[in-house]
Parts: sequence; structure tokens; C-alpha cells
Amino acid sequence: MADAAFLALTVITIGSSIAALEMRSLIYGSIALMGTLGGIAGFFFLLDAPFVALFQLAVYVGSIAVLILFTVMLVKRELIFKKIEDKRRKFAGIGLMLVIMVSLGAVFLDSGIKTITTDESPVDFRDIGIDFVTYYWPALILMGLILAGSVTGALILARREDVENDQRIS
Amino acid sequence: MSVIAPNFKLSGFIKAIINDAVWFLLIFSLIGFPLVMMVLFVIPMPVIDGELLTPFLAFTYLADPSRTLPIVQAFMTTDMFKIMAFPGFGFAALLAAGTIFLERKLLAKLQLRVGPFYCGKVEGILQLLGDGLKLISKEIIIPAKADKPIFWAAPVLFVASAAAFVALIPVAPGWVVADVDMGLLAVFAVIGFFPIVTILSAWSANSKFPFIGGIRALFQMVSFEIPLILSLLGVVMVTGTLNLSEIAASQSSFPWILFLPVGAIVFFITMLAELERIPFDLPEAESEIVAGWLTELSGMMYGLVQLGTYLKLYAFAALFVVLFLGGWNGPMVVPPFPMEIATEGIEIGPITAKIAGLPLFDQEMLNGIFWFVLKTVAVIIFILLPRGVFPRVRVDILLNLGWTKLIGLAFVNIFIALALVYAGVLGPGGLQ
Repeated sequence: MADAAFLALTVITIGSSIAALEMRSLIYGSIALMGTLGGIAGFFFLLDAPFVALFQLAVYVGSIAVLILFTVMLVKRELIFKKIEDKRRKFAGIGLMLVIMVSLGAVFLDSGIKTITTDESPVDFRDIGIDFVTYYWPALILMGLILAGSVTGALILARREDVENDQRIS
Repeated sequence: MSVIAPNFKLSGFIKAIINDAVWFLLIFSLIGFPLVMMVLFVIPMPVIDGELLTPFLAFTYLADPSRTLPIVQAFMTTDMFKIMAFPGFGFAALLAAGTIFLERKLLAKLQLRVGPFYCGKVEGILQLLGDGLKLISKEIIIPAKADKPIFWAAPVLFVASAAAFVALIPVAPGWVVADVDMGLLAVFAVIGFFPIVTILSAWSANSKFPFIGGIRALFQMVSFEIPLILSLLGVVMVTGTLNLSEIAASQSSFPWILFLPVGAIVFFITMLAELERIPFDLPEAESEIVAGWLTELSGMMYGLVQLGTYLKLYAFAALFVVLFLGGWNGPMVVPPFPMEIATEGIEIGPITAKIAGLPLFDQEMLNGIFWFVLKTVAVIIFILLPRGVFPRVRVDILLNLGWTKLIGLAFVNIFIALALVYAGVLGPGGLQ
């Protein structure tokens, strides 16, 4: 059962990610991206991490994909994209991806991941939370500061008033 | 002579019926019966009175009224029943349909009208049936330049998201479709799907009014999700769990609204905005943009979106009840089942009928359902009332409210919850 679910999720995730790259229509591309992100959430479910899976759904599918969709709908794509159709670029991209994947796989296989026992009980998210506020508290504070800094930066960027309308178009 | 069918012949009619029956029997025995058998081969059948239930046995039982109840009982414990009928879709759709009628009558009374009146003779109780038949029989018109796959899929996806939301709501102890350990997070994840479906439906219609309505809906839903999530964190802090059944069970002595009224108010306001109810009905503002993102939907597509909207309304009201009003908890009002009927049977004159499988329902379950439905209907009426009272707000006021005031109040609520936990009022060593 888990194998069938794993295979189905793999097909959905990889298929929709290829579709997200290759689709001519940007809207369909972003819908396919949602499929990819949802498939990753499914992998987290299979890995006994429903907490991460539900956050993946709520944040990535629910917010970030919506943001992308919304941006795509409002943008006239002829203005920002210059189509460069080139066979060589495509094959070079595929080759680069293969090289990266093979090297990453080699690193993974070389590490101690093969000795990890797979039938252990899943880690409770409460334990992760307790670890975060006790032993790893500097990391938590750092993450909070980075997020707060980025939100403040976004607010400042959004409030900029020195950009004129004619400058925006160019 | 009949005007409707001038060439009617009784012999021809009977011949047609016999013809149909023969074809039906042929197709059923060749295809349908093997198919049923194949399905039964896979589905585990229940064991009743130490005997495995086969289809033949089930037909025998059904013919005997005193042996029907065990089958019904076995059916009630299946997942299919839970999803389709009781805590899931059927129950919610029934309450949603009741809500539509209640809304029309209530609004009419508030505005000194009569509302639906003629259909069904008594206060227009058959109006809903008539509306449903009208929607089903209407033609579905798709705009010529619409993006057809998305346009067709959007209403179905909307109902599916609403049904997924409904599936997470615990109605009575143990009566919930999906008892997820992180139920509240699952609720947040499901709520995130509504803006996607809305904006896709609005965009795919390729028309101005739906697109404006869709953009408004997106702004409104996404910006009110944040105070919605923050306002519920207080309840999570004082209960220490995300499971909705456990949250409901933790309120056996008092509901959380007594301790966290600020969170309840913030959640109620965000709920109105998420549901696009007046005063936050900008996405459907019928006096400005026809019907907002629903403008191009017709026939049963519109009907599906309406069904989804009211399922969502029920689910939000039920979530309010579960989180703040104590869920199914309430004083026991349902009388206990007279056990002598089960042990000695019912005496009807000279006959004594012994019926197996009684009692069919738990006393606790019936009581839970009673209180849950009572509270949910009360919350639904509170959601409906502003429609008769308030005008629509402007979009900048709406967003200002969501981003500044409600988020601030939600943080106040979180600090109240923290203070209650750390002061020892609630939590370990406290009241509970």
C-alpha cells in the first residue's frame, strides 16, 4: 500500500514539476507547481511527519502558490519574457540537472544514510518543539530575527514612494 | 385523446417495458452481477451473530423486520457511512440546506417581508426543492472564451474543499470522519484551498466582473487567514492539543469562550470575512459587480458553488462551537433507552415482538448531537443576522481591519491565554 502511494506520489510530483517547466500557459504552469508542492506534502505524510505535511499544504500550496498564481494573472508576459527557444540550452539544462542529481546521490550514498534504521517510531512534533526552546534556542532566535528583518524590509520596500510611475514601466 | 402523446398505445407501452426489463436482466446477469461479486470479494463484510454476512443472507435479513437492525448497525460503523451520511457530507448538506431556507425566512422577517411563501403551501417550505429542481434543469452556459477545463473543475473543487473541511468536524464523542491528530492544522491547510479555487474560477471565466470579484475574494481571504490562525492559538495553548475531538472533550466543565472572549470575537469576525458574508461580501457585491466571482456560473455549477458556500458556513460555525462553545458537551437531556424493550420485547396485543440490535443509538451520542446541533444552529443564526443589519464595508477599511486591529487583538488573546496558563488558572494544577 505504501509502495503504491509512494509510486503515485512520485509520478504526480515529478510529472507536475516537468509540466510546470514545460507548459506554455503560465496559469497551467503554476497549477502544476501546486501539484508538485502537494506531492511533496504527500511524501511528508508517508514519512510520518503530518505536522510538516500540513504546514507544507497551508504555507506552500495555500499561500506561496496563490501568490505566484496571482502575480502571473496580473502580469503581461510578453513584456517580461523574451522567448529564447534553443535546443542546446534545453539539453544543457537537462545535462546539468543530471550531473547535480548524480553528484548529490553520490554524496548521500557515501554518507551514513544507509545505516539508518527505517522502522523506528516517528518523532513527536512536541519533542522537536521542546528541543527548539531548550537546546537549540539560539537557532530559533536567529530564525525569528531573520524573518522579522525580511518582513520589515518588505514593508519598507512596499512603502517606497520615490519610484515614479513612468520609471516603473521601464 | 391525450394531447401529450397522441399515438399512445397500451400494448406498445407494455411491450416497451418488457423489452427494457429483458435487456436489464440480460445486462445485469452478464455484467452487473459478476461485478457486484467482484466488489464483494474485496470489501470485508461484517460478521453478525457469528455469521459472515453474504449478500444472500443480507436479503434474507432485510425481508425479516426483526433482523434488519443488526445490518443497519453494522452499516453505521463503516467508514462509508461516516463519510457519506452522518458526521460527513449528508448531515452537513442537510444542515446547509436548512440554513439557506432559514436565511431567506429570517432575512424576510427582519425586513418586514414574507419571504418564500407560496411553494409548498405552508410558509413556503418546498421552496428549496423547487430551487434545486430549477438549478438542475437549467442549461449550463459556458462563456465562449472561457478556459474550459478550469471553469468546469472549479465548482467541483470548491465543493470538495468544503467537504474536506466538514470531514474534520467532530459532531459527537467518536463521531468524526477524520480524527486527525493535528486537526486544527488540517483545518488551516483546507482553508488555504478556497482562495485558489476562487481565483482560478474567476480567472477562467475570462470576464471582467468575475475577475474583479475573484481578486477581491483573494485579498480578503488571504489577509484574514492570518488573524484567523492567530485567534485560535489561544485555545491550543490552554488545551495543549491540536486534535479537535480532544479540544471539544476538554470543555466538559466550561467552554473556552468564558476565558478567551477576545479570541472568540476575532475568530467570529474573520469567519464572516472568510465566508464572504455581509458586511464583508465585497467579492459578491451584487450592487457593484453583478455577482462577483459567481457571475458567469450558471445552472448546477452555480448550485454546486452555493452548496459549497453553505457547507463552508456550517463547517465554520461547527468549528466555532468545537473550539469555543464546548462542542457536544451539555447536560444530559435525552432519556435513557428503555432496556425492557430490548430484553423482553414489545407487546402489541397478543403478539410480543422481540427486535434484535436495540438500542440502535447511544444515549451519549444522541445527547451530543442534540447539543452540537443546537449550538451550531445558534452560531449560524448569529452569522446570518448581520445581513439584515449592516451595510457593506469599503475594501480599504476591510483590509485595515484585518491587518492591524484583528491581528493586534489576536495577540492580546494569545497573551491572555499565556497569562491564564502561567498563573495556574488553567492547565495542570488549575481548574482542569
